[in-house]
Amino acid sequence: MTSTTKTLDVSVWRSNDTGGAYQAFAVPAQESQTILDVVAWIQQNEDPTLAYRFACRVGMCGSCAMMVNGKPRWTCRTHVQKVISGNKIEIAPLRNLPVIKDLATDMDPFFDKWIKAEGVFHPSKTRNDAIEQIDPTSHERTEADIGIECINCSICYAACDAVSSNSDYLGPAALNRAWTLFNDAKDGGKQTILDAVSANGGCHSCHSMGSCAEACPNELNPMASIAGLKRETAKAFFTRRKA
Amino acid sequence: MVAEAKDTGGRRGWRVGAYLRHVLFTGDMIMKIERHDTDILILGTGGAGLFAALHAQQSAPDAKITIAVKGLLGKCGCTRMVQGGYNVALGTGDTVERHFMDTIKGGKWLPDQDMAWKLCEQAVVRVRELENEVGCFFDRNADGSLHHKAFAGQTADRTVHKGDLTGIEIINRLMEQVLSRPVERLQEHRAIGLIPTKDGAALSGVLFIDMRTGDFRFVRAKAVLMATGGGPTMYKYHTPSGDKTMDGLAMALRAGLPLRDMEMVQFHPTGLLAGDHTKMTGTVLEEGLRGAGGQLLNGADNRFMFDYDAKGERATRDVVSRGIFAEMRKNNASPNGGVYISMAHLGPENVAKKFKGMVKRCADSGFDLAGGKVEVVPTAHYFMGGVVVDAETRTAMEGLYVAGEDAGGAHGSNRLGGNGVANSTVYGGVAGDVMGKDIAGISALRDPDEAVLEAEIARALVPFAQMPAHIHPLRKELMDAMWEDVGVMRTATGMQRGLKRVQEIGAELMGLGVDGTTRAFNLTWHDWLNMRSLCDVSTVITEAALARENSRGAHFREDFPEEGALETSYFTVAKQAGDGLDVTREPVQFTIVKPGETILPDSEPETLVAEE
Repeated sequence: MTSTTKTLDVSVWRSNDTGGAYQAFAVPAQESQTILDVVAWIQQNEDPTLAYRFACRVGMCGSCAMMVNGKPRWTCRTHVQKVISGNKIEIAPLRNLPVIKDLATDMDPFFDKWIKAEGVFHPSKTRNDAIEQIDPTSHERTEADIGIECINCSICYAACDAVSSNSDYLGPAALNRAWTLFNDAKDGGKQTILDAVSANGGCHSCHSMGSCAEACPNELNPMASIAGLKRETAKAFFTRRKA
Repeated sequence: MVAEAKDTGGRRGWRVGAYLRHVLFTGDMIMKIERHDTDILILGTGGAGLFAALHAQQSAPDAKITIAVKGLLGKCGCTRMVQGGYNVALGTGDTVERHFMDTIKGGKWLPDQDMAWKLCEQAVVRVRELENEVGCFFDRNADGSLHHKAFAGQTADRTVHKGDLTGIEIINRLMEQVLSRPVERLQEHRAIGLIPTKDGAALSGVLFIDMRTGDFRFVRAKAVLMATGGGPTMYKYHTPSGDKTMDGLAMALRAGLPLRDMEMVQFHPTGLLAGDHTKMTGTVLEEGLRGAGGQLLNGADNRFMFDYDAKGERATRDVVSRGIFAEMRKNNASPNGGVYISMAHLGPENVAKKFKGMVKRCADSGFDLAGGKVEVVPTAHYFMGGVVVDAETRTAMEGLYVAGEDAGGAHGSNRLGGNGVANSTVYGGVAGDVMGKDIAGISALRDPDEAVLEAEIARALVPFAQMPAHIHPLRKELMDAMWEDVGVMRTATGMQRGLKRVQEIGAELMGLGVDGTTRAFNLTWHDWLNMRSLCDVSTVITEAALARENSRGAHFREDFPEEGALETSYFTVAKQAGDGLDVTREPVQFTIVKPGETILPDSEPETLVAEE
């Protein structure tokens, strides 16, 4: 039973309002073990004061993302064997967000920007109207579908250097949502969306480095969505000038 | 600071002793409560809570609305986890009447018929609202109309969906709507007590722990919706994650409210089995795998479901769960104590294409679903029982409304796949409408019974007065007890033993302490409180299950395997009585249709679903 006696060298960020540092733990290795299991093991067996956040444990809620050996990841769906380096795992709170305590971040700024990017449906009909017939293969719908499976886990936001260097930048997830809405035939707020994303901190703050697409666990490509918004805002600008 | 976190046992003991004296003799912590007022308070941000917030704002535009949640807004509820979809009678030839009859029959004649009717009728409005006002986009047919799929136990293609991630689409869109409105948010606020007025006639407000600071907060409101959701995680295997602990029902019980159908726990037959140490264990491998031809194999690699039912793996959830459980009891189990699901004979490439999400999830966790065998086990999935409510979400306590999985009645003894999200979104919206209307007649907030407030705080502080210990081993004991003695198959002898075990575990919990060095984001404190809720609700489940001496839907008694006469169907009602429980049987009122009858016209066919 060597698998139960082997231990992992785990280094976990601990912090409160006055500062922080990494703390080392030896965690028993198991055959089926995720990073979230490692964190939970520490809290349940070694240090009951460790703070972290999770909810669904299957990659649907986007609550448990953390920096694992320097990269933002869903801890619930990251198998230890996939990321272990030597025998070491370093776990830190998600980058680009304020830390509440230890591994738990405050995600409000991320969601505030989601709304600021007009990432909210603008209805043009009511519950008394029939459901709209929409061709699922239309260009617009296909474009919207490409970006729709975002679970707002903030991983792209943590991976983005433009967010790090510009605190006003709305970030990849919010802009990706704006792009899906812009392509949504039912949305009645196209101009509102373009105004929001062309303002300061909007799509033109993206430097097209592509970290978002590389990091997204759902294999979405926010950078491509942002490129779409850049094209549309430019188009709208020239059309208006003509008028 | 970090060095201090690693304390010696001796110093910690001293600290707890000093702390205990501090609490007892100065009463300092008991005094420290933030007080806060609102008009409408909503507990929970799943489908019910978020819809309630939107509707409350529409029906009472000037009201102050506050929404509180144990985790992050929209992230921690179970609606988000919906894979299959949303039942709504919008498909070709389908009617509200047909949806209703399927719901009543699926619930084995136990549902509250008025609630079931409203669920089916209003689902039509709610899906249009989701599409037209909230911004969901459900899958379409090639002609652009809504796509409906057939779900088990239904006689029409009725289930609207967004691939197999329907819940994420619904909750993401609802959450955007709520976030963009002036709704006050109390995130990471755990409700710990429903506080009545001094005369006990009405609800004054709700006591919370602000989990980020560890402080107490009391919020008064003219109307409160409890929509904290279910989550039967007192079972060894469970699909909702372990932070869902039925706190709402535990609070309702303490507040003296009647709870119905508490014996009705739905098990999903195929939860992933990967060992006790991983949170992956218990998570659902979707129903569609069996529907597509997936085979269940025992430890000796033999198919066994045909030994139990002519439909084999395609039998209903309850039947398959019992088949697997029986096989496990015969010691025909896989290495981790379950059985296998095998898909490889369908062609690994086809499986990987058809079940992309599931295959990827399994691969991330180290399992090959497409080409290999994956261990599975029945897993506690949904809770049909809940607070007794009327079809307007009102309860026996003035000022308290309940919707979603916290409310009992709509599903009876068994919930149809696709009716869970319909229930939470329909009744969340109803609650918002009704609360908005009701508060118009209420001029002032009600004052709380300070004695109850203090008692609830004292109750939450119990662990800080004990020596710190590990909580998790005791939770494992509870999950074993409920799984073994009050699980998929039940007997009086087993349940009596289970009841004793649960009570002993509950008593042991009161002696377990939590390190109170800091209360801010102290997850171990919440582990303790979670256990408290689970022990209380487990006792009710067991006593209600003992009171039902027949087998209906999710409830199976090996000592009473027959379903009993449908005409004299009863539902159980449990209420706190002193230190104990009072469990009674109430006759089901067949207000719309009687057993053996139907409200469908004679000309309607039995089913609209084409045979495979």
